[in-house]
Amino acid sequence: MVNPLILTTIFLPWLGAVAIWAIHDRNPRLQHALAVGFSLLAGLAALAILPFISSQETAVFSLTTQSASPSTWGSLTFVPDAMGVLLTVIATVIGSFAIIFSVEYMHGEAQLGRYYALILIFIGAMSGLALTGSLLFLFFFWEITALCSYALISFYNDDPKAVAGGIKALVITQLGGVGLLGGALVIAANLGSYDIPNFLANSQALSPALLAFVAFAFLIASAAKSAQVPFQTWLPDAMEAPTPVSALIHAATMVNAGIYLLFRFYPAFASVPGWKTAVVVVGLLTAFLAALMAAVAGDLKRVLAYSTVSQLGFMVYAIGVGGVFAAQFHLFSHAVFKALLFLAAGAVIHSVGTRQMDRMGGLGKEMPFVRNVFIIGALALAGIPILNGFWSKELVLESGLEGGPQWAYLFMLATAGITAFYSMRMVWMVFYGEPADPSRHVHDAKVAMRVALIPLAFGAFTTWLLAGPLSNASALSLPFHEIHAMSTLEFAIEILIAPSTWITVSIVAIGLLIYLLRGKLTWLSSRLAWLKFAAQNSFGFEKINQFIVAVIQRSASLLRKTQTGQLNWNLAALVGCLVIILMIVIWSV
Amino acid sequence: MKYPVFIWMIPLLLIASPLVYLVGRIESRLASTGRKIRLAPYLALVPLLAAWVIYGFAIQSFSLSGATTFLFEAIRLQVDGISLLLAAIVLGLGTLVVLYSIPYMAGEPGEEKYYAMLLAMLGVMVGLGCTRDLFNLWVWFEAMAVSSYLLVAFYRNQPESLESGIKYLVQSATGSVLVLLGIGLVLSQTGTLDLAKISESAQPTPLLAAAGVLFLVGFGVKIALVPLHTWLPDAHSQAPSGISAMLSGVVIETGLIALLRILSALNNVASWGLLLAGFGALNMLFGNLVALKQTQVKRLLAYSSLSHMGYILLGFGFAIDSGLFLGAQGASFHIINHGIMKGLAFLAAGVFIYIEHHHSGKQSPLLIKDLAGTAKQYPIPALALSLAVLGLGGLPPLAGFMSKWQIFLAGFETQRTWASILVIFAALNSVLSLAYYTPLVNTLYRQTPSAPEREKIKIPAAILTPLVILSLLVIIFGLLPGLMDWLTYPAAQALVMGLAK
Amino acid sequence: MTLSPVNIILIGVFGLLGIGLYGLLTIRNLIKIVMVLQLLVKAAIIGLVLAGKVSGQIDLGQSTAATVLVADTMVAVVGLALAVQIRLRWGTLDITALSKLKG
Repeated sequence: MVNPLILTTIFLPWLGAVAIWAIHDRNPRLQHALAVGFSLLAGLAALAILPFISSQETAVFSLTTQSASPSTWGSLTFVPDAMGVLLTVIATVIGSFAIIFSVEYMHGEAQLGRYYALILIFIGAMSGLALTGSLLFLFFFWEITALCSYALISFYNDDPKAVAGGIKALVITQLGGVGLLGGALVIAANLGSYDIPNFLANSQALSPALLAFVAFAFLIASAAKSAQVPFQTWLPDAMEAPTPVSALIHAATMVNAGIYLLFRFYPAFASVPGWKTAVVVVGLLTAFLAALMAAVAGDLKRVLAYSTVSQLGFMVYAIGVGGVFAAQFHLFSHAVFKALLFLAAGAVIHSVGTRQMDRMGGLGKEMPFVRNVFIIGALALAGIPILNGFWSKELVLESGLEGGPQWAYLFMLATAGITAFYSMRMVWMVFYGEPADPSRHVHDAKVAMRVALIPLAFGAFTTWLLAGPLSNASALSLPFHEIHAMSTLEFAIEILIAPSTWITVSIVAIGLLIYLLRGKLTWLSSRLAWLKFAAQNSFGFEKINQFIVAVIQRSASLLRKTQTGQLNWNLAALVGCLVIILMIVIWSV
Repeated sequence: MKYPVFIWMIPLLLIASPLVYLVGRIESRLASTGRKIRLAPYLALVPLLAAWVIYGFAIQSFSLSGATTFLFEAIRLQVDGISLLLAAIVLGLGTLVVLYSIPYMAGEPGEEKYYAMLLAMLGVMVGLGCTRDLFNLWVWFEAMAVSSYLLVAFYRNQPESLESGIKYLVQSATGSVLVLLGIGLVLSQTGTLDLAKISESAQPTPLLAAAGVLFLVGFGVKIALVPLHTWLPDAHSQAPSGISAMLSGVVIETGLIALLRILSALNNVASWGLLLAGFGALNMLFGNLVALKQTQVKRLLAYSSLSHMGYILLGFGFAIDSGLFLGAQGASFHIINHGIMKGLAFLAAGVFIYIEHHHSGKQSPLLIKDLAGTAKQYPIPALALSLAVLGLGGLPPLAGFMSKWQIFLAGFETQRTWASILVIFAALNSVLSLAYYTPLVNTLYRQTPSAPEREKIKIPAAILTPLVILSLLVIIFGLLPGLMDWLTYPAAQALVMGLAK
Repeated sequence: MTLSPVNIILIGVFGLLGIGLYGLLTIRNLIKIVMVLQLLVKAAIIGLVLAGKVSGQIDLGQSTAATVLVADTMVAVVGLALAVQIRLRWGTLDITALSKLKG
């Protein structure tokens, strides 16, 4: 019963992509309609899998066609466990919202066929990534999501910044992908199978050195995909993408693939010496530095991008300290409120025509609906009680206090405060204060956008209630992870009575107050000017990127000179090569 | 004496070649008297289609009785997995290129020579795949080289085309001489030219090692090992697009197969696998780096061929060094995939050159910026080029990913550290290659063209059909890689089992 | 190193090879390059005959040498044909001038 549903979540969107490409751009209304239809159906299929969550692996078909040749391809298998289904539901449902939003956002744009086709291929690939039980197919779908991400970031091909952003995202995430490739190949070559549950059960069969290699290789892959330090530079530049794409791919789904990878393989790697510490350090550095960068950014989408990076850092930190369920829960909350924030920001940008916050201001009066949903998202981000962000962030910090080093906990606490600070800043600069340009014409969100935003806002209030069922399903279907199942009420009480919760709430309050009272705290801001400078220059990471690119370009130009065009030189190279190889081989015989 | 069915393909193609030329000459005689008919190009398709039928029978007989060896006078010939693999790519790409060339080369002076030489080259390459005699190998190899010299320099009105042709000729001929010297050395040391007998009597002596090196460097010119590759960017970019596709897709791989046949006979003389893998790494890095700086589309694709030869060399290097099949299987699969993808890329790029030629009558090199915005008017060639190029970059769900995966897995399976390091190096190179493939795709889908838009011309079906077929293959092999196992596994088997112990 | 006939011919082969390789690296005239290639091929042919003698397979050595003679004549013909065309289009036979394609 499960299999057809799983196949639907993957191949129905792909079918939709082909259909939309086939009808060409002559009929945009049909394209919009088809896109919405296919994505909603996929979302329903994903929700229909929920009752069937289990750790049971099912094979769809084997890619071996001839029994005589030992196959390198294995089979396409699926494991509908809680984490996988969660990610699939997020991808398809939030995917539908993003597509519904696009009906209004991309109204009148050219090359819609390409846009919708790529988004649908992405949704299918994301479902495949989350649900598959084969390492080969994990990598297969992982790479497809990278391809779609690149194509969508550089959707506006005529804008060189968009093209550069797309290529940069592709190259950096692919570099990390080499880690996933290497690790997967080592596992396959040594254990003889691509099967993930098999690996989790037998991870001790690998020698400690090999297991450590795989563990750190996978960490590199996750860090690159989820834009963690030192790979975080691609996500801010990816904001050139149309905003629904940013909401879906770069907030709710693709960047979560890295977290998913760490989560999935945690039981195998937890015992590798130094691995958990490395994960904590990566998560911590990322969360803290990205929060600082968000606090000084002037482009609305950039603030949200850095904020995503920072929140992903929280999830990575949670895994590092052993709170895998906390990471899962925060992933869920974050997907909802970040998608909400991005889509709402999209409504603002679409209306005002700029992404710079200092050219906005005072929009709250003219766009009350958008202002309200945006504030809901911002409150969830900051971690204000009742909203889903509060519960999941508290769970993360609590796990940090219990399972991780104390100094790390303090940093994360400070980051929570900075998060509140920049959330407040974002809301204020966009919706309050004086308008930068009093003569502008802005309109509030229309039907399509509202239809997409309302469920997400509702979710920001309510998804935390699913903590109990989620932990139950996880405990049931993820036998290696040792998750402790509790009901939602138990979770709520546990969080409310924990002292760390109230410490965090006070830090958050302090963060909010610091922003509101910034006029009176100028002595503090002048003291921290060096920090602001560093944050605006991304703490030197961009410089490193540019350095690497420059080195490669310089060596390419140098090598190019060897193609002199002179036949004598070519022949000299031939003779020289002959002599050298002769010497090497004869000396070795 | 009964010969295997497979062999009949060779005389079929070789005899058809002068016949097509004859028909072509008769046509031009008739044309000067006013009666214009154009039969020769279509005639060239007939022997190819017949060859497919023969190939079908050959596969049937192979699956029944395995590899067959026989003697043709004193020359030992063998039809095994490698012969079938080579014949598959030769016939496959050859048929599509002939079809594509029918409208593409229409009206060119000397058109009948093109088809005649192309058929001859195809026949000779099939012959190369089934020989087990060292000197016979050289003869087929030389015949292939000579027929390709004329095809590369086909546009004899263009100075650059002649320049690339003469450089190719001189370098290739030098390589041939080195191979001859190697043959002489082997003959003097072992007293035989039969590869099977050589592999039995080969000892690790310095002279045989020197012979091996001479073979490596001599064939290496044809395979475009760095630093012997300097003819390749010029030749592949100046040749007519169908020939560029053939050169990159089949000819350099044929050179590699010739080298592998010989090195496997000399296997216990030196560690050739390590050497091949080393060259592979050099090719990958060099090809990728210099491709970054290219502004001409066909030159970029030529350098990309260098780096893909690197992957193939890596796969075979792993197999020869460790005796495991998987590396050879992956490399064979990559030969097929590279032929499809690079062939598709060159043919698709050729469409844009055809369009430019149609509008302005000139044959200037196609620049990347000339591609801007062309996807709007010509969606199918643009999509074909994008698929080809993204597949070359190794992105799923396209074919290139699957064959690279197989090669990389083989590297780890050898359990040697140097192999694992090379695999990581190769994977990083794959990422680097995306940096020059993706700007091509982005440029195609721009909305503002670089030059003012001209009227859309109808692309003939004979040009679009190969594009569509190859595009579908790129996607199908990416999703169902096991489809080619029946071809790649026997080829790998033939190579590895044929290694001298 | 005794001065047997085989050794003398061997020295001759090496000598021709040396001249040939030196010529490839330094000569600028296209026709001369084709001639040098032919020189190299002749060296290889003599090598083949010699190899046949040394290993006792005289027939094999001589038949391969004869085949190569014919085959490489074809190469020379094609090379010279290209040289004629180059002289027509470029106006020169100096290969250092034939360097439009670089980089």
